[in-house]
Amino acid sequence: MDFDFSPIIENWRYLLGGLGVTLALSAVTVLASLLLGTGIGIARVFGPAWLRLPLILYIDSMRAVPVLVVLVWTFFAVPILLSGLSLPPFWAAVVALTVHIAAYVAEIVRAGIESIRPGQVRAGLALGMSRAEVVRKIILPQAVVRMLPAFGSIVSITIKDTAIATVIAVPEYMKRSETLAGQSYHPIEVFTFAMIVYFLILFPVTRLIDVAYRRVAHLGRS
Amino acid sequence: MTYDWSVIWQYRAAFADGTAMTFLLAVLTMAIAVPGGIVLALLRLSRSSAIAGASTALVEFFRNLPLILLVYWAFYVMPMVIEIELSPFATGLTALALNVTAYNSETFRAGINSIRRGQTEAALALGMSRAQAMRVVVFPQAWRRVLPVLASTWVSLFKDTSLVSVIAVGELAHVAMEIRSQTFRVLEVLTAMGALYWLLGYPQAKLADWIHRKFGVTE
Repeated sequence: MDFDFSPIIENWRYLLGGLGVTLALSAVTVLASLLLGTGIGIARVFGPAWLRLPLILYIDSMRAVPVLVVLVWTFFAVPILLSGLSLPPFWAAVVALTVHIAAYVAEIVRAGIESIRPGQVRAGLALGMSRAEVVRKIILPQAVVRMLPAFGSIVSITIKDTAIATVIAVPEYMKRSETLAGQSYHPIEVFTFAMIVYFLILFPVTRLIDVAYRRVAHLGRS
Repeated sequence: MTYDWSVIWQYRAAFADGTAMTFLLAVLTMAIAVPGGIVLALLRLSRSSAIAGASTALVEFFRNLPLILLVYWAFYVMPMVIEIELSPFATGLTALALNVTAYNSETFRAGINSIRRGQTEAALALGMSRAQAMRVVVFPQAWRRVLPVLASTWVSLFKDTSLVSVIAVGELAHVAMEIRSQTFRVLEVLTAMGALYWLLGYPQAKLADWIHRKFGVTE
Protein backbone atom coordinates (compact mmCIF):
# COMPACT_ATOMS: atom_id res chain seq x y z
CA MET A 1 0.00 0.00 0.00
CA ASP A 2 1.29 3.44 -0.88
CA PHE A 3 1.10 6.26 1.58
CA ASP A 4 0.96 9.85 0.47
CA PHE A 5 1.36 12.44 3.16
CA SER A 6 1.46 15.38 0.76
CA PRO A 7 -2.13 16.52 1.53
CA ILE A 8 -1.06 17.03 5.15
CA ILE A 9 2.11 18.89 4.18
CA GLU A 10 0.33 21.04 1.61
CA ASN A 11 -2.43 21.97 4.06
CA TRP A 12 -0.32 22.43 7.15
CA ARG A 13 -1.65 25.96 7.74
CA TYR A 14 -5.23 24.73 7.62
CA LEU A 15 -4.48 21.95 10.13
CA LEU A 16 -2.41 24.22 12.36
CA GLY A 17 -5.33 26.65 12.45
CA GLY A 18 -7.55 23.76 13.54
CA LEU A 19 -5.08 22.87 16.26
CA GLY A 20 -5.22 26.49 17.43
CA VAL A 21 -9.01 26.31 17.64
CA THR A 22 -8.78 23.01 19.58
CA LEU A 23 -6.35 24.53 22.08
CA ALA A 24 -8.32 27.79 22.41
CA LEU A 25 -11.58 25.88 22.91
CA SER A 26 -9.89 23.66 25.51
CA ALA A 27 -8.36 26.58 27.38
CA VAL A 28 -11.57 28.62 27.55
CA THR A 29 -13.60 25.55 28.53
CA VAL A 30 -11.16 24.45 31.25
CA LEU A 31 -11.08 27.92 32.81
CA ALA A 32 -14.84 28.40 32.67
CA SER A 33 -15.52 24.88 34.01
CA LEU A 34 -13.09 25.30 36.90
CA LEU A 35 -14.68 28.60 37.92
CA LEU A 36 -18.28 27.44 37.54
CA GLY A 37 -17.62 23.97 38.97
CA THR A 38 -15.74 25.26 42.01
CA GLY A 39 -18.58 27.68 42.75
CA ILE A 40 -21.16 24.92 42.43
CA GLY A 41 -19.11 22.45 44.47
CA ILE A 42 -18.65 24.93 47.33
CA ALA A 43 -22.32 25.96 47.15
CA ARG A 44 -23.33 22.33 47.33
CA VAL A 45 -21.35 21.66 50.50
CA PHE A 46 -21.66 24.97 52.36
CA GLY A 47 -24.63 26.63 50.63
CA PRO A 48 -28.18 26.96 51.92
CA ALA A 49 -30.28 23.78 52.08
CA TRP A 50 -32.80 24.89 49.43
CA LEU A 51 -30.00 25.26 46.89
CA ARG A 52 -28.59 21.80 47.49
CA LEU A 53 -31.32 19.77 45.77
CA PRO A 54 -31.29 21.68 42.44
CA LEU A 55 -27.48 21.53 42.39
CA ILE A 56 -27.44 17.78 43.01
CA LEU A 57 -30.05 17.34 40.28
CA TYR A 58 -27.92 19.39 37.87
CA ILE A 59 -24.72 17.50 38.69
CA ASP A 60 -26.29 14.06 38.45
CA SER A 61 -28.12 14.95 35.23
CA MET A 62 -24.88 15.97 33.56
CA ARG A 63 -23.29 12.73 34.72
CA ALA A 64 -26.19 10.85 33.14
CA VAL A 65 -26.33 12.50 29.71
CA PRO A 66 -23.70 12.14 26.94
CA VAL A 67 -21.71 15.27 26.11
CA LEU A 68 -22.74 14.80 22.46
CA VAL A 69 -26.37 15.28 23.48
CA VAL A 70 -25.55 18.46 25.41
CA LEU A 71 -23.60 19.84 22.45
CA VAL A 72 -26.23 19.05 19.86
CA TRP A 73 -29.05 20.31 22.07
CA THR A 74 -27.27 23.57 22.86
CA PHE A 75 -26.50 24.23 19.21
CA PHE A 76 -29.72 23.12 17.51
CA ALA A 77 -32.49 23.26 20.12
CA VAL A 78 -31.65 26.33 22.20
CA PRO A 79 -32.06 28.77 19.26
CA ILE A 80 -35.56 27.37 18.69
CA LEU A 81 -36.46 27.49 22.37
CA LEU A 82 -35.20 31.05 22.85
CA SER A 83 -35.98 32.26 19.34
CA GLY A 84 -33.30 34.64 18.19
CA LEU A 85 -30.53 33.55 20.51
CA SER A 86 -28.25 31.51 18.29
CA LEU A 87 -24.61 31.14 19.21
CA PRO A 88 -21.82 30.61 16.70
CA PRO A 89 -20.52 27.00 16.84
CA PHE A 90 -17.39 27.87 18.82
CA TRP A 91 -19.30 29.59 21.64
CA ALA A 92 -22.06 27.01 21.61
CA ALA A 93 -19.33 24.42 22.16
CA VAL A 94 -17.83 26.49 24.98
CA VAL A 95 -21.22 26.73 26.70
CA ALA A 96 -22.14 23.07 26.22
CA LEU A 97 -18.77 21.66 27.24
CA THR A 98 -18.59 23.99 30.24
CA VAL A 99 -22.07 23.07 31.46
CA HIS A 100 -21.12 19.40 31.17
CA ILE A 101 -17.60 19.48 32.60
CA ALA A 102 -18.40 21.91 35.44
CA ALA A 103 -20.58 19.18 36.96
CA TYR A 104 -17.55 16.88 37.16
CA VAL A 105 -15.45 19.70 38.64
CA ALA A 106 -18.16 20.28 41.27
CA GLU A 107 -17.97 16.60 42.27
CA ILE A 108 -14.18 16.79 42.54
CA VAL A 109 -14.43 19.91 44.73
CA ARG A 110 -17.02 18.26 46.96
CA ALA A 111 -14.94 15.08 47.36
CA GLY A 112 -11.86 17.16 48.13
CA ILE A 113 -13.65 19.19 50.80
CA GLU A 114 -15.25 16.13 52.36
CA SER A 115 -11.90 14.33 52.52
CA ILE A 116 -10.73 16.76 55.23
CA ARG A 117 -11.43 15.11 58.59
CA PRO A 118 -14.33 16.72 60.48
CA GLY A 119 -12.14 16.93 63.58
CA GLN A 120 -10.17 19.70 61.92
CA VAL A 121 -13.32 21.79 61.42
CA ARG A 122 -14.30 21.27 65.04
CA ALA A 123 -10.81 22.19 66.19
CA GLY A 124 -10.95 25.38 64.13
CA LEU A 125 -14.36 26.32 65.51
CA ALA A 126 -13.15 25.55 69.05
CA LEU A 127 -10.30 28.02 68.52
CA GLY A 128 -12.90 30.70 67.84
CA MET A 129 -12.71 30.84 64.04
CA SER A 130 -15.84 31.61 62.06
CA ARG A 131 -17.14 28.96 59.61
CA ALA A 132 -15.88 31.06 56.67
CA GLU A 133 -12.45 31.26 58.25
CA VAL A 134 -12.36 27.50 58.82
CA VAL A 135 -13.21 26.94 55.16
CA ARG A 136 -10.67 29.47 53.90
CA LYS A 137 -7.78 28.76 56.24
CA ILE A 138 -8.11 25.07 57.09
CA ILE A 139 -10.21 23.18 54.58
CA LEU A 140 -9.43 24.75 51.20
CA PRO A 141 -5.60 24.90 51.45
CA GLN A 142 -5.47 21.13 52.02
CA ALA A 143 -8.42 20.21 49.82
CA VAL A 144 -7.09 22.10 46.78
CA VAL A 145 -3.89 20.03 46.78
CA ARG A 146 -5.90 16.83 46.99
CA MET A 147 -8.06 17.98 44.06
CA LEU A 148 -5.07 18.68 41.78
CA PRO A 149 -4.68 15.25 40.15
CA ALA A 150 -8.42 15.17 39.40
CA PHE A 151 -8.24 18.68 37.93
CA GLY A 152 -5.43 17.37 35.78
CA SER A 153 -7.64 14.68 34.33
CA ILE A 154 -10.27 17.37 33.71
CA VAL A 155 -7.76 19.08 31.41
CA SER A 156 -7.16 15.92 29.40
CA ILE A 157 -10.88 15.04 29.34
CA THR A 158 -11.66 18.54 28.06
CA ILE A 159 -9.13 18.33 25.22
CA LYS A 160 -10.59 14.97 24.21
CA ASP A 161 -14.17 16.26 24.45
CA THR A 162 -13.44 19.26 22.20
CA ALA A 163 -13.07 16.74 19.36
CA ILE A 164 -16.78 15.94 19.76
CA ALA A 165 -17.52 19.58 18.86
CA THR A 166 -16.94 18.45 15.28
CA VAL A 167 -20.62 17.37 15.22
CA ILE A 168 -21.68 21.03 15.43
CA ALA A 169 -19.03 22.03 12.85
CA VAL A 170 -16.62 23.87 15.11
CA PRO A 171 -13.54 24.24 12.86
CA GLU A 172 -11.22 22.52 15.33
CA TYR A 173 -8.60 19.87 14.55
CA MET A 174 -11.01 16.92 14.32
CA LYS A 175 -13.40 18.76 11.99
CA ARG A 176 -10.60 19.95 9.74
CA SER A 177 -9.13 16.44 9.59
CA GLU A 178 -12.51 15.14 8.44
CA THR A 179 -12.74 17.84 5.77
CA LEU A 180 -9.22 17.22 4.57
CA ALA A 181 -9.72 13.45 4.57
CA GLY A 182 -12.83 13.86 2.45
CA GLN A 183 -11.34 16.31 -0.02
CA SER A 184 -7.97 14.66 -0.49
CA TYR A 185 -9.19 11.04 -0.53
CA HIS A 186 -6.38 10.17 1.87
CA PRO A 187 -8.25 9.30 5.08
CA ILE A 188 -5.59 6.81 6.22
CA GLU A 189 -2.82 9.37 6.31
CA VAL A 190 -4.96 12.25 7.60
CA PHE A 191 -6.66 10.33 10.44
CA THR A 192 -3.49 8.48 11.46
CA PHE A 193 -1.68 11.81 11.57
CA ALA A 194 -4.53 13.22 13.68
CA MET A 195 -4.07 10.33 16.14
CA ILE A 196 -0.40 11.17 16.48
CA VAL A 197 -1.16 14.87 16.96
CA TYR A 198 -3.75 14.27 19.69
CA PHE A 199 -1.50 11.74 21.41
CA LEU A 200 1.44 14.15 21.34
CA ILE A 201 -0.71 16.80 23.02
CA LEU A 202 -2.48 14.60 25.54
CA PHE A 203 0.35 12.34 26.66
CA PRO A 204 2.67 15.16 27.87
CA VAL A 205 -0.32 16.84 29.56
CA THR A 206 -1.09 13.74 31.62
CA ARG A 207 2.61 13.19 32.37
CA LEU A 208 3.25 16.82 33.38
CA ILE A 209 0.28 16.73 35.72
CA ASP A 210 1.60 13.56 37.38
CA VAL A 211 5.01 15.14 37.92
CA ALA A 212 3.57 18.42 39.19
CA TYR A 213 1.32 16.55 41.59
CA ARG A 214 4.17 14.53 43.06
CA ARG A 215 5.94 17.80 43.88
CA VAL A 216 3.06 19.25 45.88
CA ALA A 217 1.45 16.06 47.24
CA HIS A 218 3.02 16.48 50.70
CA LEU A 219 1.10 19.75 51.19
CA GLY A 220 -2.21 17.86 51.16
CA ARG A 221 -1.36 15.32 53.84
CA SER A 222 -2.91 15.68 57.23
CA MET B 1 -43.42 28.90 18.08
CA THR B 2 -45.64 25.86 18.24
CA TYR B 3 -44.34 22.51 19.20
CA ASP B 4 -45.58 19.20 17.90
CA TRP B 5 -44.70 16.43 20.29
CA SER B 6 -46.70 13.79 18.43
CA VAL B 7 -43.65 12.96 16.28
CA ILE B 8 -42.04 11.37 19.31
CA TRP B 9 -44.92 8.94 19.76
CA GLN B 10 -45.11 8.39 16.02
CA TYR B 11 -41.47 7.30 15.92
CA ARG B 12 -41.59 5.35 19.19
CA ALA B 13 -40.53 2.09 17.52
CA ALA B 14 -37.40 3.74 16.10
CA PHE B 15 -36.54 5.24 19.49
CA ALA B 16 -37.00 1.81 21.11
CA ASP B 17 -34.74 0.17 18.52
CA GLY B 18 -32.10 2.83 19.06
CA THR B 19 -32.24 2.34 22.82
CA ALA B 20 -31.88 -1.42 22.42
CA MET B 21 -28.91 -0.89 20.13
CA THR B 22 -27.28 1.43 22.67
CA PHE B 23 -27.59 -1.23 25.39
CA LEU B 24 -26.35 -3.94 23.05
CA LEU B 25 -23.27 -1.90 22.14
CA ALA B 26 -22.48 -1.16 25.79
CA VAL B 27 -22.94 -4.78 26.88
CA LEU B 28 -20.85 -6.23 24.05
CA THR B 29 -18.11 -3.64 24.57
CA MET B 30 -17.88 -4.54 28.26
CA ALA B 31 -17.95 -8.25 27.43
CA ILE B 32 -14.83 -7.70 25.31
CA ALA B 33 -13.17 -5.05 27.46
CA VAL B 34 -13.25 -6.87 30.82
CA PRO B 35 -11.31 -9.96 29.73
CA GLY B 36 -9.21 -7.76 27.42
CA GLY B 37 -8.38 -5.43 30.30
CA ILE B 38 -7.40 -8.33 32.59
CA VAL B 39 -5.10 -9.77 29.94
CA LEU B 40 -3.45 -6.39 29.27
CA ALA B 41 -3.03 -5.75 33.00
CA LEU B 42 -1.39 -9.14 33.55
CA LEU B 43 0.87 -8.61 30.53
CA ARG B 44 1.88 -5.27 31.98
CA LEU B 45 2.87 -6.94 35.26
CA SER B 46 4.84 -9.53 33.31
CA ARG B 47 8.51 -10.05 34.19
CA SER B 48 9.54 -9.65 30.55
CA SER B 49 10.12 -5.94 30.04
CA ALA B 50 9.38 -6.19 26.31
CA ILE B 51 5.89 -7.58 26.96
CA ALA B 52 5.24 -5.12 29.80
CA GLY B 53 6.46 -2.23 27.67
CA ALA B 54 4.30 -3.17 24.68
CA SER B 55 1.23 -3.48 26.88
CA THR B 56 1.96 -0.13 28.55
CA ALA B 57 2.42 1.58 25.18
CA LEU B 58 -0.88 0.17 23.88
CA VAL B 59 -2.79 1.26 26.98
CA GLU B 60 -1.28 4.76 27.06
CA PHE B 61 -1.92 5.26 23.36
CA PHE B 62 -5.61 4.43 23.47
CA ARG B 63 -6.18 6.31 26.73
CA ASN B 64 -4.73 9.48 25.24
CA LEU B 65 -6.94 9.70 22.15
CA PRO B 66 -10.35 11.28 21.70
CA LEU B 67 -12.81 8.40 21.28
CA ILE B 68 -14.53 10.11 18.34
CA LEU B 69 -11.23 10.13 16.44
CA LEU B 70 -10.78 6.43 17.18
CA VAL B 71 -14.26 5.84 15.76
CA TYR B 72 -13.43 7.70 12.53
CA TRP B 73 -10.09 5.97 12.32
CA ALA B 74 -11.65 2.53 12.73
CA PHE B 75 -14.23 3.41 10.08
CA TYR B 76 -11.92 4.80 7.37
CA VAL B 77 -8.55 3.23 8.03
CA MET B 78 -9.11 -0.24 9.46
CA PRO B 79 -10.88 -1.69 6.39
CA MET B 80 -8.03 -0.52 4.16
CA VAL B 81 -5.26 -1.72 6.44
CA ILE B 82 -6.59 -5.14 7.42
CA GLU B 83 -8.66 -5.47 4.25
CA ILE B 84 -11.78 -6.72 5.97
CA GLU B 85 -15.03 -4.92 5.32
CA LEU B 86 -16.73 -4.55 8.71
CA SER B 87 -20.27 -3.33 9.26
CA PRO B 88 -20.62 0.08 10.96
CA PHE B 89 -21.81 -1.79 14.06
CA ALA B 90 -18.70 -3.98 14.22
CA THR B 91 -16.51 -0.96 13.50
CA GLY B 92 -18.09 1.09 16.28
CA LEU B 93 -17.82 -1.87 18.63
CA THR B 94 -14.12 -2.23 17.82
CA ALA B 95 -13.42 1.44 18.55
CA LEU B 96 -15.36 1.35 21.83
CA ALA B 97 -13.71 -1.92 22.87
CA LEU B 98 -10.19 -0.59 22.21
CA ASN B 99 -10.91 2.49 24.30
CA VAL B 100 -12.59 0.74 27.21
CA THR B 101 -10.07 -2.13 27.26
CA ALA B 102 -7.30 0.42 27.81
CA TYR B 103 -9.20 2.00 30.72
CA ASN B 104 -10.11 -1.38 32.23
CA SER B 105 -6.51 -2.51 32.06
CA GLU B 106 -5.52 0.45 34.26
CA THR B 107 -8.36 -0.38 36.63
CA PHE B 108 -7.26 -4.00 37.00
CA ARG B 109 -3.61 -3.07 37.33
CA ALA B 110 -4.42 -0.61 40.12
CA GLY B 111 -6.63 -3.24 41.78
CA ILE B 112 -3.91 -5.89 41.68
CA ASN B 113 -1.25 -3.42 42.87
CA SER B 114 -3.47 -2.33 45.75
CA ILE B 115 -3.00 -5.75 47.38
CA ARG B 116 0.19 -5.56 49.42
CA ARG B 117 3.23 -7.32 47.94
CA GLY B 118 3.74 -9.13 51.22
CA GLN B 119 0.64 -11.20 50.55
CA THR B 120 1.96 -12.47 47.22
CA GLU B 121 5.32 -13.15 48.81
CA ALA B 122 3.67 -15.06 51.65
CA ALA B 123 1.71 -17.15 49.12
CA LEU B 124 4.90 -17.92 47.18
CA ALA B 125 6.67 -18.81 50.45
CA LEU B 126 3.85 -21.27 51.17
CA GLY B 127 4.79 -23.02 47.91
CA MET B 128 2.08 -21.65 45.64
CA SER B 129 2.88 -20.95 42.01
CA ARG B 130 2.57 -17.34 40.78
CA ALA B 131 -0.66 -18.20 38.98
CA GLN B 132 -2.06 -19.77 42.15
CA ALA B 133 -1.04 -16.78 44.25
CA MET B 134 -2.89 -14.51 41.79
CA ARG B 135 -5.98 -16.71 41.68
CA VAL B 136 -6.29 -17.66 45.34
CA VAL B 137 -4.86 -14.64 47.17
CA VAL B 138 -4.84 -11.49 45.01
CA PHE B 139 -7.94 -11.68 42.79
CA PRO B 140 -10.52 -12.41 45.53
CA GLN B 141 -9.44 -9.24 47.35
CA ALA B 142 -8.76 -7.09 44.29
CA TRP B 143 -12.20 -7.48 42.70
CA ARG B 144 -13.88 -5.55 45.52
CA ARG B 145 -11.70 -2.55 44.72
CA VAL B 146 -12.12 -2.99 40.97
CA LEU B 147 -15.90 -3.26 40.93
CA PRO B 148 -16.74 0.39 41.80
CA VAL B 149 -14.37 1.66 39.11
CA LEU B 150 -15.87 -0.75 36.58
CA ALA B 151 -19.30 0.62 37.49
CA SER B 152 -18.12 4.17 36.72
CA THR B 153 -16.56 2.99 33.47
CA TRP B 154 -19.87 1.37 32.54
CA VAL B 155 -21.72 4.66 33.06
CA SER B 156 -19.17 6.49 30.87
CA LEU B 157 -19.33 3.76 28.25
CA PHE B 158 -23.11 3.93 28.11
CA LYS B 159 -22.84 7.63 27.27
CA ASP B 160 -19.89 7.18 24.92
CA THR B 161 -21.86 4.79 22.71
CA SER B 162 -23.51 7.99 21.38
CA LEU B 163 -20.24 8.81 19.59
CA VAL B 164 -20.54 5.92 17.15
CA SER B 165 -23.57 7.74 15.71
CA VAL B 166 -21.08 9.61 13.48
CA ILE B 167 -20.47 6.43 11.47
CA ALA B 168 -24.20 5.68 11.18
CA VAL B 169 -24.58 2.91 13.75
CA GLY B 170 -28.31 2.85 14.49
CA GLU B 171 -28.12 3.58 18.21
CA LEU B 172 -30.18 6.15 20.09
CA ALA B 173 -28.26 9.30 19.07
CA HIS B 174 -28.12 8.32 15.40
CA VAL B 175 -31.79 7.34 15.32
CA ALA B 176 -32.72 10.70 16.84
CA MET B 177 -30.60 12.61 14.31
CA GLU B 178 -32.28 10.69 11.47
CA ILE B 179 -35.77 11.44 12.76
CA ARG B 180 -34.76 15.07 13.19
CA SER B 181 -33.73 15.40 9.55
CA GLN B 182 -36.85 13.58 8.33
CA THR B 183 -39.38 15.55 10.35
CA PHE B 184 -37.60 18.88 10.95
CA ARG B 185 -39.02 18.80 14.50
CA VAL B 186 -35.55 19.63 15.80
CA LEU B 187 -36.38 20.76 19.32
CA GLU B 188 -38.88 18.00 20.04
CA VAL B 189 -36.69 15.17 18.76
CA LEU B 190 -33.47 16.38 20.38
CA THR B 191 -35.26 16.97 23.67
CA ALA B 192 -36.74 13.47 23.53
CA MET B 193 -33.26 12.08 22.86
CA GLY B 194 -31.85 13.97 25.85
CA ALA B 195 -34.74 12.87 28.06
CA LEU B 196 -34.27 9.22 27.05
CA TYR B 197 -30.55 9.31 27.80
CA TRP B 198 -31.33 11.00 31.11
CA LEU B 199 -33.96 8.42 32.07
CA LEU B 200 -31.60 5.58 31.19
CA GLY B 201 -28.40 7.12 32.54
CA TYR B 202 -29.61 8.65 35.80
CA PRO B 203 -30.45 5.37 37.60
CA GLN B 204 -27.20 3.85 36.34
CA ALA B 205 -25.18 6.78 37.69
CA LYS B 206 -26.97 6.46 41.04
CA LEU B 207 -26.36 2.70 41.08
CA ALA B 208 -22.66 3.35 40.44
CA ASP B 209 -22.61 5.77 43.40
CA TRP B 210 -24.23 3.12 45.58
CA ILE B 211 -21.64 0.52 44.53
CA HIS B 212 -18.92 3.03 45.40
CA ARG B 213 -20.38 3.51 48.87
CA LYS B 214 -20.94 -0.19 49.46
CA PHE B 215 -17.62 -1.50 48.17
CA GLY B 216 -15.40 1.57 48.43
CA VAL B 217 -12.30 0.85 50.52
CA THR B 218 -11.36 3.68 52.83
CA GLU B 219 -7.83 3.40 54.09
